Amino acid sequence: MRKRTLNFPFTAIVGQEKMKLGLILNAINPRLSGILIRGEKGTAKSIAVRALAALLPEIEVVEDCPFSCDPRTPGKMCPRCTELYHKNPGTGEIPAAKRRTKVVDLPINATEDRVVGTLDIEHAIKKGEKRFEPGVLAEANRGILYVDEVNLLDDHIVDILLDSAAMGVNTVEREGVSYSHPAEFILVGTMNPEEGELRPQLLDRFGLCIKIEGIKDIDQRAEVVRRWGDYEQDPEGFVEQWKDAEDKLAAGIVAARELLPEVTIPESILLKISELAVEIGVDGHRSDLTMMKAARTIAAFRQLKEVGLPEVEESAELALLHRVRRRPFEQLALDRTKITEVLTNTPTPKAGQNGAGE
Amino acid sequence: MTTDPKNTRHHPLLFPFTAIVGQEEMKKALLLCAVNPGLSGLLIRGHKGTAKSTAVRSLINLLPEINVVSECVFGCNPAVLHELCDDCQARLRGDSPTAPDGKLESIRRRVRVVDLPLNSTEDRVVGSINFEYAVRSGKKRFQPGILAEANRGIIYIDEVNLLDDYLVDIILDTAATGVNIVEREGISYSHPARFILIATMNPEEGELRPQLLDRFGLSVNIKGIPSPRDRVEIIKRRESYESAPVPFIKQWEKEEQKLAEKIVRTQKILDRVEISPELLVEISRIASENWVAGHRADIVMERTARTIAAFDERTSVSLEDIREAAEFALPHRARQPLDSQDRSGMTGRESQGEELPSDRPGVNKPVNGGDSDIGTGNKRFPSSPIQGGEGQPGSESVAYRVSGPGDKDQPGAKGKEMAQGVIFEIRNNVSIGTRDIKFERDCRVRGRSGRRSQTETRLKSGRYVRSTAVRRNDDLAFDATLRAAAPHQRHRRTEGLAVAIDSEDIREKIRERRAGNLLVFVVDGSGSMGTRLMSGTKGTIMSLLLEAYQKRDKVSMVTFKGKGAEVLLPPTNSIELAKRLLEDMPTGGKTPLCHGLIAGYELIAQHLRKEPNTLPLMIIVTDGRANVGLHREGVYEGGLFGKIYEEIYRFAEIIRSEKRIKTMVIDTEEKKLGSFGRAQTLSETLNAKYYLLQDLIESSQP
Repeated sequence: MRKRTLNFPFTAIVGQEKMKLGLILNAINPRLSGILIRGEKGTAKSIAVRALAALLPEIEVVEDCPFSCDPRTPGKMCPRCTELYHKNPGTGEIPAAKRRTKVVDLPINATEDRVVGTLDIEHAIKKGEKRFEPGVLAEANRGILYVDEVNLLDDHIVDILLDSAAMGVNTVEREGVSYSHPAEFILVGTMNPEEGELRPQLLDRFGLCIKIEGIKDIDQRAEVVRRWGDYEQDPEGFVEQWKDAEDKLAAGIVAARELLPEVTIPESILLKISELAVEIGVDGHRSDLTMMKAARTIAAFRQLKEVGLPEVEESAELALLHRVRRRPFEQLALDRTKITEVLTNTPTPKAGQNGAGE
Repeated sequence: MTTDPKNTRHHPLLFPFTAIVGQEEMKKALLLCAVNPGLSGLLIRGHKGTAKSTAVRSLINLLPEINVVSECVFGCNPAVLHELCDDCQARLRGDSPTAPDGKLESIRRRVRVVDLPLNSTEDRVVGSINFEYAVRSGKKRFQPGILAEANRGIIYIDEVNLLDDYLVDIILDTAATGVNIVEREGISYSHPARFILIATMNPEEGELRPQLLDRFGLSVNIKGIPSPRDRVEIIKRRESYESAPVPFIKQWEKEEQKLAEKIVRTQKILDRVEISPELLVEISRIASENWVAGHRADIVMERTARTIAAFDERTSVSLEDIREAAEFALPHRARQPLDSQDRSGMTGRESQGEELPSDRPGVNKPVNGGDSDIGTGNKRFPSSPIQGGEGQPGSESVAYRVSGPGDKDQPGAKGKEMAQGVIFEIRNNVSIGTRDIKFERDCRVRGRSGRRSQTETRLKSGRYVRSTAVRRNDDLAFDATLRAAAPHQRHRRTEGLAVAIDSEDIREKIRERRAGNLLVFVVDGSGSMGTRLMSGTKGTIMSLLLEAYQKRDKVSMVTFKGKGAEVLLPPTNSIELAKRLLEDMPTGGKTPLCHGLIAGYELIAQHLRKEPNTLPLMIIVTDGRANVGLHREGVYEGGLFGKIYEEIYRFAEIIRSEKRIKTMVIDTEEKKLGSFGRAQTLSETLNAKYYLLQDLIESSQP
């Protein structure tokens, strides 16, 4: 029906501003470690993720490296590239190429050997030697790993994802192969919560999480239908029509990337972030880190050099929703008034104590 | 820094150990393990995002150096002759080309940390035939695996509770004997495999088996740090590490160096540390007070206490050392219910963020000061029965605490829902097992997961763990097939390929699936469940849940009351969830038993469609009486009343006819003259296993 190469433009998606923001933030700052998009069917989840690919910046990779190693970071290279690097260290003489960040699909029926990689059978039979055949995790290194319907993923595949997401390294000890390579990816998942929940450990691995709903506004719905119709009828024309908007957003992302290292965050705001995490009630420390990173990225996107409370408030919604401790069958929900309350409160000495209570 | 490629290859730029904020207990435990390999392992249990993995990995840079025989894949210790591997013994005899003069050349290298990833297959763990060598020479030679690499080092398993049982068993066996014996693929070999097992896990994903727990010398429970200021420090350090790892690591280099030196110093002191006979008695007393099974705890406590003393650079063990050791050695062994164990661990440690750094590292507290808090002040570990709090191992029964000082929403949650239902406390002393439930289909035929039935699956899905020469389903295990074919290549016509495969070489995959059986509780939540019975019921279900917990079964819960049935809990692995749900389950209203049966049946049918390998067990908790029918909005009056039971029994037959579903009825009726025995009838119709709740409660009371 539609051409594969021509994705629906990101900017042409009607509404769903929060989802778009979450995805853009990840495009700006890969260290946000991904986003989980929860929502019912037909809310442009998948379209948005695929459309994001067009907005991702280019990265430098070692030529012909199946793991897309970064030629400048020797610490995060596959064995072959490490060897290359040490042959002529520091001179940057590894043949490098530029290409767009990839969006790699992890289909829910993927088998374990395809995900982690396996013994290269052909090579073994022809040459009588063992060789590692890279899998999906290798391909996703330094890119986006996209799992549609992530809640339907097989348990043991989830385990593998957890394992490699934890350290950004995929260690393979199977089928006679012993191998280890970098596997740092932005995990992007979509799910329909009606079909089951995610395991808590996996949930926590997604940096951000948003809940989306179908658009209620009649005019906007009509607009969705109209745009989709236009796109299906003439993809080239439609994409051309949105080119300006796309270019503008892409430029904004590049600008934000450049500004990001300069964005500062005052001590008092950091304290607010931690207080928020404690007050809302989360396990572990990933939420604090994510809030801080998200707030900085939002500031960068808005071309602000310092993070303020509005950015924290916005990042809290993205970073806390899936980390709040909750009772069984409670819907994922965030107490927005509480967030505002904590943020607007002037710091009191008892703040720390309060948090320790729960 | 380190020169060992094995240690640098995965983790070149590690977050420095000393830069981890708080979590002193975990750090101490890790250091103790680094000092003394005799502590036989450490288990770190904690919620997600609490620096568990970070800490273990960062330990690599602090590990001391050891002497190893050069070119020995097992890293043999040249000073301990009786522990040498076969190769080294050959070298010693002068039979080996690498050491013709019968001398063992040795080099120094750091202690290794070897990862055991969840995707591991058996051949890589224990070792297998060297495929390349076999193809070239037609001879068999052993290809060492992870256990070989880890000899005299550390095996690290992240998310250990998710590892396959089969592999867990192999590792345990090896850990116990210190020798890896390989008899597979035509290879017969054995080599030393002494290692420290360090593992991390998130209890939300399921618990470990008790045997496995016991293998870990030490354990710590950790939690996020509650103080916002410390949290800010964590954010800052992490951020500066992530944005520029090299300078950050540089900044901490001195601290790291100091700590590494301390470890070496401690090791030197360790042999000289003495422990008085009185303190040995104290160790046994603590162990027996905490109802520890077996003697491993005593041994570990003694060793840990000595290591702690050495770490403080003292040569005699103090009472305080023993108490500290007990905190590491007992939490996972004390025979306490899972629930309260968790809580005591938590209450013991939750304040660590603020409290520990000041009083912990090595301050030599006066013995008498410590003495006084043995029963009262020392709240970190319930070492004395006087303490009495929740989770005291005073009785061996499952003591789930439901109401307590800390809980707000307990029976007294009178609020708005009072009219709707009452929450009964869970009786704490009813136990029942599903051990005697036999699944009709033979495991060998169906093969499925969990620990209750067999763990293999014949479908071509699940995790590939090992291979077999038995042909069953053409699920070809290429690697094993190639290994089997390799030694014969010199005699085969290979037609330009390196390897020719005959049908006799074919190996198939044995796969495992982690999910267990499905237990579906269909619970009467109507008003007719009296207070006493309801709490008894909850206790019964709790004991079943506990078992499910250990067996990795999935559980699900359906309750019926008022006008219909409701799936309270869709099939899940989270027994925690089921437990909490059960605690809060309200009761009240009429009894639509048939609705409950239907809802349970549909739930199972649905699940079977998705996972046809499941063996479902439906546990119906009811007195068998019902007063709501399926039609006419449930109101069957007068002569129609009997119809309600007709419906129930007819549906029971439908369930019975589905051979895959096993059923169990727990009769909650109080047996006295004139009782109805309806649940018994239902049970017979279902051909179910029948239990009388009253008996269960009585038999479990002393």
